[in-house]
Amino acid sequence: MSVGLLVVGAPRSAASDVEVLLSRLPALLPVPVVLVQHRGPLDALAAPLGRRCPLSVVEPDDKDDLVPGRVHLAPAGYHLLVDRGTVCLSVEPPEHGCRPSIDALFDSTADSHGASAAALLFAGHEDGLAGLGRLRSRGGRVAVVGEAEEAGVGPEVERLSLADVDGWLSRWVHLPRGRVSP
Amino acid sequence: MSAGDSAAALEALEADLLLEGVARHWGFDLRSHARPLLLRRLRQHLREERLASFSALQARVLHDNEALEALLRTLSCAEPTLFTDVAFFQDFRARVVPVLRTWPSVRVWHVGCGTGEGTHALAILLHEEGLWSRCRLYASDACEGLLSDARTGVVPLPDAAAAARYVETGGKGRLSSWYTRDGDWAQLRPELRERIFFTQHNLATDGSFNEFQVVVCRDVLLAFDRTLHDRAHTRLHESLARFGFLCLGRKESLSRTPHAAAYEELEDTGRIFRRVT
Repeated sequence: MSVGLLVVGAPRSAASDVEVLLSRLPALLPVPVVLVQHRGPLDALAAPLGRRCPLSVVEPDDKDDLVPGRVHLAPAGYHLLVDRGTVCLSVEPPEHGCRPSIDALFDSTADSHGASAAALLFAGHEDGLAGLGRLRSRGGRVAVVGEAEEAGVGPEVERLSLADVDGWLSRWVHLPRGRVSP
Repeated sequence: MSAGDSAAALEALEADLLLEGVARHWGFDLRSHARPLLLRRLRQHLREERLASFSALQARVLHDNEALEALLRTLSCAEPTLFTDVAFFQDFRARVVPVLRTWPSVRVWHVGCGTGEGTHALAILLHEEGLWSRCRLYASDACEGLLSDARTGVVPLPDAAAAARYVETGGKGRLSSWYTRDGDWAQLRPELRERIFFTQHNLATDGSFNEFQVVVCRDVLLAFDRTLHDRAHTRLHESLARFGFLCLGRKESLSRTPHAAAYEELEDTGRIFRRVT
């Protein structure tokens, strides 16, 4: 079964890996991507991430639609929740000291998309682990990217290296044929 | 259907029943609030109250007014400290204040004031800019419990970071000169309090109650779903004088509301709009 949403969570330590992941996303990705990257209040992220990514990277406003083939980056100082096809921003208190928080995104994804979502969590922070578990229990396709020992998840969760992500993604997302690999 | 799915379906049902009960019994309609945000706040409230389910919360809330107030408090996400958003106060000083100086009297409405931190920060700014004697600052919230805290004029003692933010916003003196310390609390000066009018107002259900030259409604409408959000913007539009200023949160947009054409955004500000028609 193919999924309708890809959510990605990454701690600060994974910032360069996120850039690599985004640069390797297919240009014709038929689903929306939502990305929470831990960030400080003044970090400019959308432009640098967008430079190497074939998809456009935007920081959505509240209640904007999720658009297929676009990367929606959580803005600094707000949690980004998904509400079916739209973005719902929140100024609730930080979680695990972070706003945006990965758990907030994954929890809302579990509620609104369940089995029709795929989630990637970059290892290295406790934020996101609980949300990943809840999304998995709702049937979502989840995986952790990074070293197994620092991942902090049980053996039931799939672990990937950065190189495996393309293959993993193609299991859940129907990619148009004839695309040219970068 | 997995076990996780059936538990989630039951939770969703219980949440619906709770919201229905609160709306019918207390007149607080939370059914048009943004669902994912509302669910998160409700779950947080369950944890704080050590309750097992929304059904248990429903039983308590329907029979106990204080339990309802506690719930509404958890739903509020107002600014926790003075001068939280530096950029907004900078923009307000630089772009709005010069225009307000040319007007003989100014009515300001701070929507969703919570426990009043943002309201008092605004009052300090207006006082420092010499506008306070011709200003009246109305601050509203849907939750009476939060308002009664706000009316005391007591806020958590600002820390060094808050004092630094105050200076960054263009503060003209020392933040500590605006309050007297009482342990971990700060009692704001009486001349600030005497021109602030705290009033209970629910943007979801109540009409416009005055005409204002400035409406500050920052990150309040995030809590609403799109339908209620648009309706609330109609309220704000009705309440704003022509050429008045509407201050929204940094990631709030007017572009898809029915009143987008009535406003012009001030360039290079974090979402300060001017009503032009």
